[in-house]
Amino acid sequence: MSEYSGNEAVVMKNVCKDFKVLNRHEGLKGSIKDLFSRDYKTVSAVKDVTLTVNRGEIIGYLGPNGAGKSTTIKMMTGVLEPTSGELLVNGKVPYKNRTENCENIGVVFGQRSQLWWSLPLIESFKLLRDLYMVPEKDYEGMIELYRSLVDIEPILHKPVREMSLGQRTLSDILAAFLHNPAIVFLDEPTIGLDVSMKAKIRELILGLNKEKNTTVILTTHDMGDVDALCKRIVIIDKGTKIYDNDIEHLKNYFGSYRTLKLKLSDDTWEEYLIDEKTTDVMDVIMEKQKEKKIKDVKIDEISTEEVIKKIYEGSAK
Amino acid sequence: MNPKRLLAITRAGIMESLHFRLGIFVTLFANLIYLVLVYYLWKAIYDSSGTAVVNGMTFTDTMIYLILATALFNFLEMFVVWDMSRSIQSGKIVLDLLKPMRFRKYTFWSYTGNHIVQFVLTFIPTFIVVMIVTKGAIPMGLNLVWFLIATVLALMINYNLEMLVAPICFYTESTWGVNIVKETIVLLLSGASIPLAFFPEKARMVVQYLPFRAVYDIPLSILLEKNGSDTWQGLLSLFAMQIVWLAVLTLAGNLFWNSAVKKVTVNGG
Repeated sequence: MSEYSGNEAVVMKNVCKDFKVLNRHEGLKGSIKDLFSRDYKTVSAVKDVTLTVNRGEIIGYLGPNGAGKSTTIKMMTGVLEPTSGELLVNGKVPYKNRTENCENIGVVFGQRSQLWWSLPLIESFKLLRDLYMVPEKDYEGMIELYRSLVDIEPILHKPVREMSLGQRTLSDILAAFLHNPAIVFLDEPTIGLDVSMKAKIRELILGLNKEKNTTVILTTHDMGDVDALCKRIVIIDKGTKIYDNDIEHLKNYFGSYRTLKLKLSDDTWEEYLIDEKTTDVMDVIMEKQKEKKIKDVKIDEISTEEVIKKIYEGSAK
Repeated sequence: MNPKRLLAITRAGIMESLHFRLGIFVTLFANLIYLVLVYYLWKAIYDSSGTAVVNGMTFTDTMIYLILATALFNFLEMFVVWDMSRSIQSGKIVLDLLKPMRFRKYTFWSYTGNHIVQFVLTFIPTFIVVMIVTKGAIPMGLNLVWFLIATVLALMINYNLEMLVAPICFYTESTWGVNIVKETIVLLLSGASIPLAFFPEKARMVVQYLPFRAVYDIPLSILLEKNGSDTWQGLLSLFAMQIVWLAVLTLAGNLFWNSAVKKVTVNGG
């Protein structure tokens, strides 16, 4: 295969994934027709994506709904086979060695739990320990590490079905890291959580990444997650990679934007989005001052959220 | 093959099904109602036939057979197809596919715990009651050991039958109808609802060689020392049939599963 140096957790080269989808017809008549229909259309969920993720990195894998994020992750985990292209995870082809690949990855889907519903968390941990054949010493060490990062005592003996969503997500993340995998996939881990739980979970992910040098591939719609966790961002839309760089560069993606806020004499705030490459902030202030008296001035950096929003909107056109 | 792994999965299965202990009592109660119905139905059949022995079975024989068949059914019953179609529709199947074990193996062992619980809590009590009530109609000897072996084989055959139907969900995304058909066929042709001795001669000739019989009729025949299972030759031929069907179904199930799993298009992605 290609030049695999051992430092890459994931290597994707020109990966494509097509799905065959039945063309559904409307109404009862259509439904009956669909029973025998051979009328398929091909949908490209992922188009020609090339991507390298290094060991120990936390990357934010972003994109609007239906962009192909989950499809990519499912290919990396070995559940889906790429239609074409080359994909290596930990140096191996995931779909050819699915069970083997699974020993070296951890997965959290924010909307479903891999834990045993009616059992206390500690039982799920023990079961995962045996399932992944984690040596007793490593297991103890991991639990110790968990204790130092979060307060797990109150949830350890609680059945999963009695947990709050936040506790459950926390538990799922801990479970995904338990066998010390090389890569952990987090698919919208903070979905539906309150502010303090989000912060807790971000802290935990950062802590685990630092301690174990685990590669984390994170998909999320919460830019707070991205700001708190990721140095690097990959954005994909309609199956195509449209951005792959540092989070700092992202802010200059459309030029260097800043938000200028002016408090006018009638106590209202006015906001202007200014591209510093083309307009000077001072000029705008001067210009405004001619019309009305300015009581206060604020200049804000453009937030990640705003940039991402612009990118999603821009690509939707 | 690591026994510690399999044991761990089985253990979790036992704990999970014990969690739903109320369900087990409901099962026992439902059985009672069902058996009362079966009792009066067959009593009517025997009364109207005018003879004490129908198709080589007395009324007591038939009742013992059907009570044990019901108990065996509760314990062998599997919900692989239901569970799989639900987990495909909800997308949960991904999580099962991401276990570091082959899916078929993992699923089998995660059901094992439930079977053990059902065996201890529904089959054994029923067996003891039948034993006491009929005062020695069930032979007590080596046949109990053979019965256990036959039951384990039956369990594996039943699992493979389920696994032969379950992957259809990957293609249709819904298996309600298919599963109902499968369950009816198994219940009828396996001897779980009507002893095979009552089948018309020609039908019995065919049913005799189908895999369904290996699930209920063979273990029960061995337990009750019927159908020639009281001779070594008869016993071996019954086991041979179970093993051949197990091999065939496992192979077929494997092939079907491997091609079906490529069809995965999990929702929400």
